[in-house]
Amino acid sequence: MNQEPPKWALRFLRLYCKPRLHEIIEGDVYELFYKRIEKEGLSKARRRFSWDVMRFFRVKYIKGFEDINSLNNIAMFKNYFKVSLRSLLKHKFYSFINIAGLSLGLAACLLITMYITNELSYDKFHKDADRVYRMAGNQMGSWTPARLGIQAKMDFPEIEEIVRIQGPFNQTFNLNGTIYREARGFNADSTFHKVFTIDFIEGNPDEALKEPNSVVLTQSLADKYFPNSSAYGQLIKMDGETTKITGVIADPPKNTHFYYNYINSMPHETWVTVGNWTGNNFFTYAKLTQGASAEALEAKFPEFKRKYAGAEMLEWTEYDTYDELLAASRNPPTYSLKAMTDLHLFFPSFALGSNGDIDNVYTFIAVAIFILIIACINFMNLSTARSAARSKEVGMRKVLGSLRGNLINQFLVESMIVSLVAMVLAMGLSALFLNGFNTLANRNFELIDLLAPQTLLYLLVLVLIVGLLAGSYPAFYLSGFKPIKALKGEMKSGSANAFLRKGLVAFQFAISIFLIISTVIVYAQLQFMGNQKLGFEPEQVLLVKNGSRLSGNINGFRNAVEAHPNVENFAMSDRYFSGFISNYGYQTVEDNPRSYNFMNMFVSAQFQEALDLELVDGRFFNKELVSDTSNVLVNEAAAKWLGWDGVVGGKVSRGEGRDFRIIGIIKDFHYTSLKQDILPMIIRNVNNEGWINEADQWWGTNYLSIKINGNFQNTVRDIEQAWSRVVPDEPFDYTFMDDSFAALYEEERRFGKLFTASSGLAIVIACLGLFALAAFTLERRFKEIAIRKVLGATVPSLSMLILTDFTKLVAIGAVIAIPSGYFLMKEWLADFAYQLPVNPFYLIAPALVVAIIAWLTVGFQSVKTALGNPVKALRSE
Amino acid sequence: MQRINLGEFEELVLLIVAILHDNAYGVAVMEEIESQTGRKINISAVHSALDRLEKKGFLGSHIGGATKARGGRRKRFFKITVAGKGALDFIREQRNKLHDQIPGLA
Repeated sequence: MNQEPPKWALRFLRLYCKPRLHEIIEGDVYELFYKRIEKEGLSKARRRFSWDVMRFFRVKYIKGFEDINSLNNIAMFKNYFKVSLRSLLKHKFYSFINIAGLSLGLAACLLITMYITNELSYDKFHKDADRVYRMAGNQMGSWTPARLGIQAKMDFPEIEEIVRIQGPFNQTFNLNGTIYREARGFNADSTFHKVFTIDFIEGNPDEALKEPNSVVLTQSLADKYFPNSSAYGQLIKMDGETTKITGVIADPPKNTHFYYNYINSMPHETWVTVGNWTGNNFFTYAKLTQGASAEALEAKFPEFKRKYAGAEMLEWTEYDTYDELLAASRNPPTYSLKAMTDLHLFFPSFALGSNGDIDNVYTFIAVAIFILIIACINFMNLSTARSAARSKEVGMRKVLGSLRGNLINQFLVESMIVSLVAMVLAMGLSALFLNGFNTLANRNFELIDLLAPQTLLYLLVLVLIVGLLAGSYPAFYLSGFKPIKALKGEMKSGSANAFLRKGLVAFQFAISIFLIISTVIVYAQLQFMGNQKLGFEPEQVLLVKNGSRLSGNINGFRNAVEAHPNVENFAMSDRYFSGFISNYGYQTVEDNPRSYNFMNMFVSAQFQEALDLELVDGRFFNKELVSDTSNVLVNEAAAKWLGWDGVVGGKVSRGEGRDFRIIGIIKDFHYTSLKQDILPMIIRNVNNEGWINEADQWWGTNYLSIKINGNFQNTVRDIEQAWSRVVPDEPFDYTFMDDSFAALYEEERRFGKLFTASSGLAIVIACLGLFALAAFTLERRFKEIAIRKVLGATVPSLSMLILTDFTKLVAIGAVIAIPSGYFLMKEWLADFAYQLPVNPFYLIAPALVVAIIAWLTVGFQSVKTALGNPVKALRSE
Repeated sequence: MQRINLGEFEELVLLIVAILHDNAYGVAVMEEIESQTGRKINISAVHSALDRLEKKGFLGSHIGGATKARGGRRKRFFKITVAGKGALDFIREQRNKLHDQIPGLA
């Protein structure tokens, strides 16, 4: 039987006890232990042993500072510090390159860390954020029907509360004649505050959104309209309706997937209060009860949907029973739940304008790692390269009694100093680059965000890791020298060492080439899309976005605009190119009718000329022909889908006898970004007064396309004046068609900028390293070159000798970078329906650019060395 | 009157060290207290008191040789100093003087 006291107690005693008292105390408790075994048995003795040890845990017996670090150790650290500083100051050139490279790398990392911390924090500030889910139709249907939330709360006890919201809207605020257009407004049910955390400054949260025509303003909006008085209880006109301000709330934090400036109550109309199961008009959020499982709830949804929505769904399809519909649908109809905290990054199509994307986070992480690796490689390379020069120091220290551990400590202290200095510089640099970074990341960070404790903590950890990693190789390598050899000067930087160094440099080149390839391909693709024929003419077209305000009295405005000498054309439409275009279900009128959801637009007769659309067959609408409202045009893609011999003259139907005759085919045109294919489209007619169907009061003119010829600026100003005469209470909301199209590629352009910046940074850091390394290599080969020169080598051949060495490394880098760059960028291009044909030039040019930069970096020094007088190099022996 | 800075427990420990003479170390002192007074005390309390007494100058200590009973760990032996003896004498004398003045209870 093991007659030993508990191990943990012994270890604990050793851990805390002052060394000089340890033996006595341990002896006493041991003695008692052995005595107690005989008297009281082993287990009790063991228990009492532990108790005794615990009782000795007193200030008096606990190790003090003087026990942990002997004075000698402190002195040694002071010495390491001093020696490190001296060595850094002595080799100013290398230190500068090390610190400069590292601080650039760390600055990039600091900014990216800040970005990532912020991205991951989205919506976490809501109380019970982990219990809030967004309800979705099937898997990816962002919009949900009005009844879904109401019914689900009644049926499932797991749902604690629901709220439906709509938005974001731009609305016109009118306070005593001052008119502003305010963005990011939402409609919400009165349960809004029970699902989301919202801080009411004034007003009753339970009552604020109950009545129709109520609005809750954020503090900043309230201050804007009522700078000197309380906004609460005041009346304001919103989109012409008198609305009561029933609350003032604190501005929401910026890291939310739907940033709101104001929240309207829902109108009390049947489509809201009762609603139906097939009109998807709402975003529904559900807060589950504590401990409820989202998966378990999701499993109940298919039955739920069948029970309530089934009958209504059948009305819109040709199936007779729900089972038939089920059999025919690829994904059985249901609803699903998406965690609110995932919306921003993982379901950007669900987020209401926060434009996040997990791929962006990954890209940024990759860039940060690449840049940091390059900076670390510099650090390691320079330290090992200089190892031979320091071998004498190491040898001397060893002779004087340094242990290997001491030397490792010394080198680690040195690398820590370098990385800490770099950290301080990095903070300054990142403050300088903050604005540029905001453009790249599409965020609005401020200086204060850089100093957030969490971000700084991450940075510090990063710095320590970098210092340790970058310092560890030289530390362990240099400290392993045999003192005699080191002192004799026999320590050549070994070939294995040189091999590693060259490998690392090749890797740096590989990263640089890879980043440049990415940059080139992103820009080439952007250019490629820009050069594609859109199939219509977006130049010189003014797009007015709030045409709906002209409802019923468009003639006055149109006459004023058309009378302007520079206006060529005035066209109306319900949607616009580059904007969102919805699809409508149509059936073909033939023996075996087929149904298809066509892209659908309503346009006026002038639309063809305003946008210069090309007709392939038939005719466009004629403004003199009232009957044209029952005629349609199709694009080539639709004609192909229909597949008839004579498409013109054929008919499509919206059901219930609403048939439309096809009167023409339009040549395919890109109505949206080139990421998407051209889908079959049907174009219908709005009449000359802007109605789709005047009897039903169906207005079809949300957008006006005005073709302008001549002086653009003045004409736009004149049109704006005409607008304010007709619609005095709403600002003129317009853009230009070509700008609107260009805006579709905002994300790609940002991507291009990100890669430009990171490849630039990578190259700068890599070149710093290369420059120092070349200087070092040449220094080592000084005599070799001198002897070669004496024996008759020419300056060009000597320069080439050095250059070839580095060129090989670029070649190796290119061999790694070209295939990986090619495959990754192919992946990126796969998102585009119209892809740039990747020609080898895009892959080879970056490698050549890097080679040229490398030659320039190394070339100057090698020529200088080769030109030098060999006598100077040789006589110093 | 001269004041002697000595707690009740410290006085007890000091007396026991004096009694044990050449064999006063932690465990022995603890056991002696237990057997003489019946008080249950923890070894750490004894150590603490011994250290305090040494600091006050009433005890001196030296490290003894290794013994088998403790797995070869050495003991720290305490010995009463002249000051310690003086303190004990002083306390005793003062107490006796006071005791003598208690009027006899008939």
